[in-house]
Order: sequence, then C-alpha cells, then structure tokens
Amino acid sequence: MGKRATLEDAAMNMTPMIDVVFQLIIFFITTADMENKALDTKVRMAMAPHGPVVQKKDPRTIVVDVSSKGRISIANAYMSPAVLKSILKKAVGEYGQTTPVVIRGDGKTTHQDIKAVMDACSAAGLWKVKFAALKEKA
Amino acid sequence: MARKKRKVDMPPADLPMTPMIDVVFQLLIYFLVTIHPVDVVTHLDVFRPSPEAKKDKPDTPPKMIRVTIFSDGFSINERPVDLAELDKLLVKLAGIDKTQTILIMATALSPHEKLVQVLDMCAKSGLVNLSVVSMN
Repeated sequence: MGKRATLEDAAMNMTPMIDVVFQLIIFFITTADMENKALDTKVRMAMAPHGPVVQKKDPRTIVVDVSSKGRISIANAYMSPAVLKSILKKAVGEYGQTTPVVIRGDGKTTHQDIKAVMDACSAAGLWKVKFAALKEKA
Repeated sequence: MARKKRKVDMPPADLPMTPMIDVVFQLLIYFLVTIHPVDVVTHLDVFRPSPEAKKDKPDTPPKMIRVTIFSDGFSINERPVDLAELDKLLVKLAGIDKTQTILIMATALSPHEKLVQVLDMCAKSGLVNLSVVSMN
C-alpha cells in the first residue's frame, strides 16, 4: 500500500511541472522576437550574401529605418532629418562617439534619402555607420 | 492480489499521456503555423569621410580606387563596368592590398540596392576601408 502511494505521488507531481514548463516555453517564444517589433516591417532590404554575420550586439545600437519612399523612422516613429540629428547628438553625448548606427534602408530607396541619414550621423559626429542587408532570405 | 501486481508492473499507466500529447501537438502545430523564420541580417561597415577630408578631395591622388554608382550602372576610376567586371577588379585589387581605401561615390538617384551590392562585393573580397560619399 505504501509503495502504491509513492508511485501515485510521483505521477501527480508531474502535472504542475509540465504546466510550468509549457508556460515558460510560451513566454519565451512570445518574447523572443520582441526586439524585431521595433523595426519597420515594410522595409525590404537588399541582399548581401557575402556580408559578415552580425556577431555581438551592442546594446547602444541605434537602428534607423528608411522606407522605399525615403521616410526616416526609429522604432516606427517617423521623423525629419533635423530631429534625427538632434537624437543622434543626444546619443553621442550620452554614449560617446563609438555609438553604432545601423541604417536599415529599403533596396529601392534612392541614395539621396540614405545620404540625409548619413549627413545627420556626420553632423552628430558619427563617422562610422553600418548598412543592414539580408544575408539570407528565410 | 492480481490487481496490485499489474499496477506495479506498469506504473506509467498512472499518468495519462494522451491529453498531454494532444496538447503538445496542438502547441507544435500552432507555433509551426504562426512563427515565420527570421531573416539572417548582415551589417556592412562603412566610413563617412569627415568634412576636412572632403575639403582635400580635389587633391586626392589618382591611385585611390573610386567606384561610382549611377542609377543605371557602375564605373571604376571613370571606366564603366558591369557588376561581374567590378567584382573581378575588386578581387584583383584585394589581392594587392586589403587595407587600401575604396572610395564609393553614389549619385543621388541611384537605388540603395546598388550601394549594398558594391559593399557586398567589397566584403566578399575582404576590403575593409570603405568610404561612402554622395554625389549630386
């Protein structure tokens, strides 16, 4: 009788554990792509199959989206180049001149719109910029 | 007595597996349908010449490699080339010196795609000092 009780106990204890594990799985799956939510989903980046893989992510990174129509946005907030410049200036003041800026431009954007973003970076004292591109299309 | 023996023989029967497997399959199907694979993103580093360098630009020695991007094509040191030829030339140049500065000049109306193509080629050849300037 005593043996049966322990067996049943072991079986009973599985259920809350499985519940919690499922909850954790669902939590992590839903939060995993949270950072991509802040990007403009309409931007269709150009392909660069030979580019280096992004290894470490700098938490200071500022991602500037440029839509195919040349509209500038950060985290889906559209802004003029002048506002972008003041934001970048503030970022430079806070995090220094090594703040990474990633320009996520649509492949169809004309260079003059990209230039507006690069000029804002230069005006803020950022000489090094990165262009985001697709290494592999999923 | 016979009943008790059976219980000891197969203890896993105590835990009903079927509903759990049902739920796991439901979750699996749900996530397979809803999750789309993330694209692999690459970052292409470029330098933007500072205003002082821009002032010196007319004095740039002709040995500097200038790649110009037009809205309908490319040219390297004023010689019009297509993408395959540009690739070949950049590989050749990278064979001489990987740290030499490549000046990439993009015209205002050229699509960003073309700039990325050129940067991709430079990344493929291993050229690291890339300067992007804009032209009107």
